[in-house]
Amino acid sequence: MKKAANNKIQSIVRACRIILRMIEADPNTRHSQKMYYRMLLQYYTRLRDARENGQFIAAHTVFFPAEILLAMDIIPMHTETTTWMTSLFTGECGDILAAGARLGMATEICAPHRGMAGAFASGALPRPDVMVWSNMVCDNTAKSGELVMDICGCPGFFIDRPFKDSGLEKTYMAGEIRDMIAFLEDKSGKKMDYDRLSTIVERMDRQIELTRQVNELRKNVPTPFSPLGFLELLTIDYLFPGQPESIEYLETLKAELEEMVKQKKGAIPKERFRLMTLFIPPMYLMSFLEKLSVESGAVSVIEPFFTFWGEGRLDASRPVEAVVEKAYMIPETRMYGPLGESALEAIKKCAREWKVDGAVYYADVGCRHSCATIKLFKDALAEVDVPVLTIDCDVVDQTVTSEEEVRDKMERFFELLEDR
Amino acid sequence: MLSIGIDIGSLTTKTVVLNNGRFLASVVSETLDEAEISAQVAMTKALERIDADEDPLRFVVTTGAGAKGVSFSDRSKAITTCLARGIAYCVPEARAVIDIGAESSTVVKTNERGKVLDWANHDKCAAGTGIFLQQMAKLMKLSFEEMSELSETASKGADITGTCAVFAESEVISHVHRVPPTPMPEIILGIYLSVSSRIKTMCKRIGANEKIALSGGVALHKGLVRTLEKEIGQPLFVPDDPVCVAALGAAVLAGEEIQKETAQ
Repeated sequence: MKKAANNKIQSIVRACRIILRMIEADPNTRHSQKMYYRMLLQYYTRLRDARENGQFIAAHTVFFPAEILLAMDIIPMHTETTTWMTSLFTGECGDILAAGARLGMATEICAPHRGMAGAFASGALPRPDVMVWSNMVCDNTAKSGELVMDICGCPGFFIDRPFKDSGLEKTYMAGEIRDMIAFLEDKSGKKMDYDRLSTIVERMDRQIELTRQVNELRKNVPTPFSPLGFLELLTIDYLFPGQPESIEYLETLKAELEEMVKQKKGAIPKERFRLMTLFIPPMYLMSFLEKLSVESGAVSVIEPFFTFWGEGRLDASRPVEAVVEKAYMIPETRMYGPLGESALEAIKKCAREWKVDGAVYYADVGCRHSCATIKLFKDALAEVDVPVLTIDCDVVDQTVTSEEEVRDKMERFFELLEDR
Repeated sequence: MLSIGIDIGSLTTKTVVLNNGRFLASVVSETLDEAEISAQVAMTKALERIDADEDPLRFVVTTGAGAKGVSFSDRSKAITTCLARGIAYCVPEARAVIDIGAESSTVVKTNERGKVLDWANHDKCAAGTGIFLQQMAKLMKLSFEEMSELSETASKGADITGTCAVFAESEVISHVHRVPPTPMPEIILGIYLSVSSRIKTMCKRIGANEKIALSGGVALHKGLVRTLEKEIGQPLFVPDDPVCVAALGAAVLAGEEIQKETAQ
């Protein structure tokens, strides 16, 4: 294992500090946004110092139930989000993608996974004590864990989440979670604190409810939430599930949005186009996309696969089962799970209720699961007269799409919407 | 007031001049290093063709590569919007237009008012574009006319990929050097089919299923037009001047802008 010559966690911590310093001094920045960056700083500082503090680190993939780790006082390292953050905060992650390529990872593979493998191989991320992962939600994720185990020489545990969601399948998955808890107890020497897990689940239930309320506020015209603010909602769910900080953040955000609605104020000076965002925009273009959104008056008002939670509640009295329930409620399962009529209906419902003018599908070329849905979603949205712009891109790999190309397509699309 | 549309393409710059919706002139000139100069030269040539007593006032809409940087442009518009307006002007019954330019191919679905309903384009590779066909013609040492004539005699097309222009070139070379070599007409038809299947997919993707027109320089390539028609399963509308459709649309949009300003 190479020594960390290029510690990505330290880079993220440094970038978060700089951003925080800038926005703390800015009276126009949302208080909730300041809280969000403090949370990011906290997450990555804790991860950076974990080894020094003798803490047990579990690397985990996206949608893995991190509630379990937090209830056991294990330090989680969300691998895909960390790759994103590298791209978002340091502007590029070519070095870790190149390291992934040196491992033999083909460019067709989802870049966050390529980057993750490269980051571990080059020592840019700390070596985890264990790797825990699942088939939530894609096959890249399902295989990445084994690769990380191999690269880092650490033990690991894979949770099998059945594709369908009958009672029997949920019972099976609860068994998987219990086996994983036993694995973690064995490797970390820490016992699961079920009371703590119940508290986390109870807060997670509240977190989901608050996200739903925030989304309700976003229905207002003009919408009060920033054009790409939904990434904050996404990130706190990934990094802080059921944590007090998430509740505080969401309650603050909700109060801020309520105030803006009361004052009939929009997030951007002149709202012209209400957009639905399908999949994740390229992280390295976020500043550009924010600027373009403000210039063009385009704002994302709903994201059916990222912020629009499925129906249901989490029962804190049965915490393991609640963690399983959440695995079937997460918005992304609409895209990655069985794509029935209900998923397509949910998109149409979102388009109608959030008064969407157009949808932007950031088609991550390395994500076969999502790209396979482009036509289905386009056809479904055509039924409610919502045009869809598809942008072939990658969440972190800058070689796939340039800023100019995205600008050109976005401007064409806005012209189409304006001309209707 | 004259409404002038300028479409700056990668090889040629097209200009169309209208006056109150009446066609006055169109010009195709070579695209030069700078968009500004290309547009200026093209517009000057077009204005030379109209009567001196036409209105000296003008409203200019530019589109294409570098259109935004043209200093004398009053508005720049997306090529998709221009294609839709242009085809509605010259082929009113069309509800979609396939534009195969030198370096990109685009399909635009339109409504009866020439508004864009949806579009799909391919700009990642030269496969399916005019440059690709030019490259193939050069490789086989044939003119476009000769290619068209030969393709008519083919009973089937050779397998040629539509994904990558470089791979396609290797495949053509491989067909030529095969023992026995693949007959030239089959290779040409194979090339046409590879372009056509790519275009057909784009049409399907946006639901451009009927009343389709064809624009761009490739519309003059008769053999390809025939193949494309067979692939799509319907005749294509080819306007009298397919090269200038986007410039015509830009001129129509210039006219709309004049009307808006007059109304204010």
